[in-house]
Amino acid sequence: MSEAVIELKHITKRFAKVLANDDVSITIHKGEVVALLGENGAGKSTIMKILYGLYHATSGEILIDGQERKISSPKEAMNLGISMIQQHFSLVPAHTVTENIILGNCKGKIDLKAKEKEIDGLAKQYGFDVPAGEYIRNLSVGTQQKVEILKALYLNARILIMDEPTAVLTPQEIDTLMEFVKSYVAKGNSVVFITHKMKEVMQVSDTIVVMRNGKICGTVKREDTNEKELAHMMIGRDLENLQTPGQDDFSDRKERLVVEHLTIRPEKQAPVLDDISFSIHEGEVLGIAGVSDNGQQELCEALYGAANITSGKITLDGKDITDTNVKERIAMGIGYTASDRYRYAMVADMTLSENMLLKSSYLKEWVSHGIINWKKLHQYTEDQIKKYAIKAPDHNVTAGSLSGGNQQKVVVAREVDMGHNVIIFDQPTRGLDLGAINYVHKTILSEKEQGKSVLLISTELSEIFALSDRIAVMYKGRIMGIYKNGELTTEKIGLLMAGYQPDKEELK
Amino acid sequence: MQKGKVKDLLLWTFLAIILGLAMSFAFLPLLGVNPIESLKIMLMETFADKFSMGNILVKTTPLILTSLAFAFTYKANLYNIGAQGQFYVGCICATATTLALQTKLPGVIVLLCAFAASVLGGGLTGLLIGFLKAKFNANEFLVSMMSTYVIQYVLQLLLRTVLQEPKHEYLKTQYIDSSTWLPKIIPGTSVSLGIVISVAAAVLIWFILYHTSLGYRVRVTGLNQDAATMSGINPKKMCMTAFFISGAIAGLAGFTEINGMQHMLLTGFESDIGSYGIGIAIMANANPIGIIFAALLFGTMQVGGTALGHSTDAPASVIDVMLGFVMLFVLMSFFVRHKLEIRKMKQQKLKGGEA
Repeated sequence: MSEAVIELKHITKRFAKVLANDDVSITIHKGEVVALLGENGAGKSTIMKILYGLYHATSGEILIDGQERKISSPKEAMNLGISMIQQHFSLVPAHTVTENIILGNCKGKIDLKAKEKEIDGLAKQYGFDVPAGEYIRNLSVGTQQKVEILKALYLNARILIMDEPTAVLTPQEIDTLMEFVKSYVAKGNSVVFITHKMKEVMQVSDTIVVMRNGKICGTVKREDTNEKELAHMMIGRDLENLQTPGQDDFSDRKERLVVEHLTIRPEKQAPVLDDISFSIHEGEVLGIAGVSDNGQQELCEALYGAANITSGKITLDGKDITDTNVKERIAMGIGYTASDRYRYAMVADMTLSENMLLKSSYLKEWVSHGIINWKKLHQYTEDQIKKYAIKAPDHNVTAGSLSGGNQQKVVVAREVDMGHNVIIFDQPTRGLDLGAINYVHKTILSEKEQGKSVLLISTELSEIFALSDRIAVMYKGRIMGIYKNGELTTEKIGLLMAGYQPDKEELK
Repeated sequence: MQKGKVKDLLLWTFLAIILGLAMSFAFLPLLGVNPIESLKIMLMETFADKFSMGNILVKTTPLILTSLAFAFTYKANLYNIGAQGQFYVGCICATATTLALQTKLPGVIVLLCAFAASVLGGGLTGLLIGFLKAKFNANEFLVSMMSTYVIQYVLQLLLRTVLQEPKHEYLKTQYIDSSTWLPKIIPGTSVSLGIVISVAAAVLIWFILYHTSLGYRVRVTGLNQDAATMSGINPKKMCMTAFFISGAIAGLAGFTEINGMQHMLLTGFESDIGSYGIGIAIMANANPIGIIFAALLFGTMQVGGTALGHSTDAPASVIDVMLGFVMLFVLMSFFVRHKLEIRKMKQQKLKGGEA
């Protein structure tokens, strides 16, 4: 291998209560793609934020081109040729591409025309189709990411750190990104790829560094390993294989939830939900694929009674429930795990028991004559902690003190019991580690076995394919089509997610 | 472990109070007053006889209630700064009801009617603020604060007109009949049943907040309004409910003061209990049971401060300085205790890591 550009030696980082990095050493060579693989909370982002100057290591040293350096701010990191693309982009939507790229790197009078030309040239050099004069707010997420990359290239970055870059992209956009990475390192630059997706790691990286609980538990060459071994390293045990849903025929089973021509159109705006119709049978999982923010959350809220519907009809077990509110729908046995659990599905400063009560304060389960039966509720909570293997000392700790995965388990445990007819899962595994994802998936399948109807919304195609009986694709508030699981290839679903109708083109 | 925490809390708070008092006494020489002498006077006068000690409870009674009023809305992440006004409404309702019924009905019945009227009057005043907040998103902080001024003038108006004593000489009502006084519970003092009522109110509010679904909903709304909405809880309804209950408690203070202590209504009467209530609630971290003790502390210091005021050259406002210092130190002790706890946890973790 060629010379080492960056050496991180024995880095330890301690936050108030947790040890985020424990004696982490990583070497990045010239022209190399390093994949940092690990579950959420393994310390991947932390170590890279230390390199980028956002955090300061408690101990350890950083060598750049063989010399020891102290990096105390992103500005210094950039001067050394290190750039990092955060998981959440740092772009100003109201500014143009050019303005965003030169932000912080220009002084005095700005010749925007010249800069625009310069950036157009840079984009062409890397084969990016980015209009330099366009406003960020008009660009797709994939293009915004390219702007972020251009920002780094504009500063002559030699080392590009990307934090979960593919989380928001369609399959086609991921391919483009991978091609860029390959051509970029071919020029003698280096890339660090932070991810928890095995597929990408195998596709693009040269060296794979696996992290677990803040420690490095393996550095391997891609040629010498396989996905199974990596998964084992990442979580310290093997994953259970899930039975992919078969080709069950649901036509003889009862239709439970029927949605007809559901539309939400805010005044003088484009509709956020446009003429949505589908039905879910008893014991069926309907998966909804799509890039996030294409109306999924609005659909969930409409089904849960929390949104104002412009027109359309929702029927549950033959009963029209369009005009009922959240309280009534909870009582009808509809469960809902919101994608933004912190905001909609839990109260961080309340105890686990209190969070278990959240949806049923109007029901009779734990409340009689307005008085809460804490003893019964505590017992239930303790049972759920055991049943779902929630890592919590007892029912009395606040939900906010748990890790994201365990918070989600609390929410799932509650909603699975609340939704005895229908459960709406909106991105149930977002931000969870592999072990917890596996657990949530098993729960969804076992609830389906019990005859519950499940609506599963996810941006992770693998999740949709693994769990759904039928798959609907959403794009800009519309359903692009509903297919049986197995009818769709990744390419086709990718096109549907981007708003193309491959079938119709063929019909012409 | 829980027990140890309570012990810690008591110890720290006690130390903070001592420190706060020491600091405020250190200022007395600047006013030309001997601090040691003052301390002696304060302790002597406060705890000298049964009557002054009873006065502590008398002062504490309304403070518990106004403080509860602030704490209840605080739990819903709302701010009711207008307990003073709601207290006055309670006073007006209690006085008017008592005066209207006192000779016609037996005392107990009149007392019950006055009780209901003051609670209802205060509650409706609170409800109005809550309604304005829920319906028009009016800033409840400002509305509740300004409502106090409006009510003060209404009180003045009533004292000049329909409620004024028969001779029309002073801005006060006539004395209410002794049959409608709350009974004294400790002979030789002016302590009435009012203190029992306010302690019971604190326990009741604690029960509502932590053991009923209504209180649970109020707390959920306060901590996370989006999650509340997504759980079928209507935040607007909760806002109005919280303000109604809050106002009702403040109104109740009007009843205990009029029928229990003052036996008539006059202007500028107990004009500080609203703001003291806020301080007490903050000091007790809005915990209803903690409020009882914090109010008792404030009550004691008020009695001591008054004694200091009339037996030495120190101005009467010296008591406010003392209360301020004590509050400051108690709040600081919360912060320090929290820091120490985190450090302890860290050290435990380190030890665990090495082992």
